[in-house]
Amino acid sequence: MNFTNLQIETENIPQLEDIVLKPISKSYFKIIVLNQLLLYALLVSLVFIGKYITENDEHVIINFWYLLLVVIVFCIINFIYSYLAFKKRKYAIREHDVVYAKGLIVHSIIAVPISRIQHVEESRSWLARHFGLSTLKLFTAGEAGSDLSIKGLPHLEAKKIKEIISANINGSN
Amino acid sequence: MEVTDFSQPIRQSSKGIIIIFAFNAFKFFKKFFVLLIAFGLSLMKGKTIGSLTPTMIWLGFIGILIVIFIIAILKYLNFKFHLSEDDFHLSTGIINKDTTIIPKSKIQNVYIKQNFLQQLIDVVSVKIETAGDKKAEIEISALDKPTALLLKKKLFTKANVDEHSVEVTDGRDVFFKVTPKRLLLEGLSQNHFKSFTLILAFGFGLYTEFQQYLEELEVIEYAKDYVKVEEGTLINLLITNILIVLVFVVVSFLFSIIKTFIINFNLEVVEHQKTIEINKGLFNKVSLSLTPSRIQNIVITTNRVKQYLGLHSLAVRQAMTDQKQQKNFNIVALEKDQVNYLIDKLLVDYDREGELSKPRPYFMRISTYHMLLFLAVTNGLAFFIFGTELWWINVLIVPLAVLYVYYAYKKAYYKISNNYITIGSGVIDTTTNILEIHKIQGIKLKQSFFQKRRHIASVVISTASKKVTIPYVSKAEALSIYNFLLFKVESQDRDWM
Repeated sequence: MNFTNLQIETENIPQLEDIVLKPISKSYFKIIVLNQLLLYALLVSLVFIGKYITENDEHVIINFWYLLLVVIVFCIINFIYSYLAFKKRKYAIREHDVVYAKGLIVHSIIAVPISRIQHVEESRSWLARHFGLSTLKLFTAGEAGSDLSIKGLPHLEAKKIKEIISANINGSN
Repeated sequence: MEVTDFSQPIRQSSKGIIIIFAFNAFKFFKKFFVLLIAFGLSLMKGKTIGSLTPTMIWLGFIGILIVIFIIAILKYLNFKFHLSEDDFHLSTGIINKDTTIIPKSKIQNVYIKQNFLQQLIDVVSVKIETAGDKKAEIEISALDKPTALLLKKKLFTKANVDEHSVEVTDGRDVFFKVTPKRLLLEGLSQNHFKSFTLILAFGFGLYTEFQQYLEELEVIEYAKDYVKVEEGTLINLLITNILIVLVFVVVSFLFSIIKTFIINFNLEVVEHQKTIEINKGLFNKVSLSLTPSRIQNIVITTNRVKQYLGLHSLAVRQAMTDQKQQKNFNIVALEKDQVNYLIDKLLVDYDREGELSKPRPYFMRISTYHMLLFLAVTNGLAFFIFGTELWWINVLIVPLAVLYVYYAYKKAYYKISNNYITIGSGVIDTTTNILEIHKIQGIKLKQSFFQKRRHIASVVISTASKKVTIPYVSKAEALSIYNFLLFKVESQDRDWM
């Protein structure tokens, strides 16, 4: 039995701080913007429809311009927030693990060892295909939610990562 | 005794027909419960429904039973299983044929269960569980006990053969057997809030369900008359209310005790060379084996009262078992040193020594916020429902909230040793969570906007069965834990199952 139990120098083990996290593709922000534009276009048109319906009704006195203003202010805040949050989405692939960071208000850095990944999936929505992006989903065992999904990766990059991980999974079995 | 040969496809015991029949009939009647009651009522009154006479209803009823019985026979005939070198094979289905193959190495658990009917006709059911999909679960519902035990042994021994040599001795060493007295204490010292709310909900549900009938029977009127006699004094009203609460409390105590007894009746922990076997249950007898390599987390729970009485529960979490099954892995009413013994058995080289680290005092700040929110909500609710009369309730709640914050922080600790992580938590209960480092599936470093300025972060550790959090430690500490755990997992190349 060749068992060794060397002392581990905590300074010498790989450090999280040393990882250079790569930002996800800039085009993904376009997708976020498009999705939100769609949502707010819907909201604004709802406001206008509401205005149209209640126009002749004397009893309803709501200032529609205020309502519209609220929606638009909300929209702008949401955009700024999305942009800042988008900046926080970063990822890195190391030899033995995949690291993904996200979140503006609650920032989290998730690491999943490649040896624990059960299977990999690359999914592409219609919009994502249009921008040449894809989402990489990494599944681990158990329902405890250590699954990882990295959105907005360039298609080629995602494919490459998927291949690396697949090779690793199949190699270990 | 003839030894069953598992290499050829075999059927289960012919008594299985009865089990399948009973099970299907039960399922059927559960589905058409309301309809049946309608028919049953008309039968009782001897009336006809439309053009159906009582005789026809009886005939139809018997016809349905016969159909279910035939289906049961066909199911039985088409249910065959056998063992090959490395796999378990099962073919089922009357019209759609299904063949399931489970590699022995992927089997996580083999349970032997016996419900009331099975106890009557002396068969057991064998359930094979994998860590994968819930659908992949297999149940053989009727085997005689020696065959079941043999099957279980065969399923396990082969699976372990490449890891360590086959278990040599099969000595039955009963390590722990619960006494009725300890079960009683266990039931008494449980967290009664749970069963109290359950009983309350049940009573309320029952009341709304039968409100109509009660009105019809004029029970309310009767009760009102009865109350009227004693009406007049406020004290009487108070006494009635207190009595009602007392009844609920007593009922929930009884409920806890009876539940504990039924589930844990004759709880027995048997020690084998590598595994541990748990047997328990009154109406549903369960027998299951724990293999150390399949364990993902171990949770030990006790509370103040239980600690005083020397009662500890040990729960073993495995990958992907469903909630109902999970409960079977609880061993209750253990002494402290029995818990320690079991831990040593299940977790090799678990180091009990070593210093405990505490979260930052920021932890208290967060729980204080939680409690303030709770106070605000309760006060708001009380204000809206009862007005300002109930302000005095704060006299009760505020000290409790302070105690909550104090105990939550006092009981929180974490310890990271060479191979294990131990995390303590709890407020009323004292919970100790132990997991092996190489069973970690993923690690998360979490830090909110407010924590960033204070250089505080939490580490969330996921295994295949559970998520545990090391809450609110300093950023530097969190990072070093994170790095250390990742390094451990990735450098060791050990399997998590």
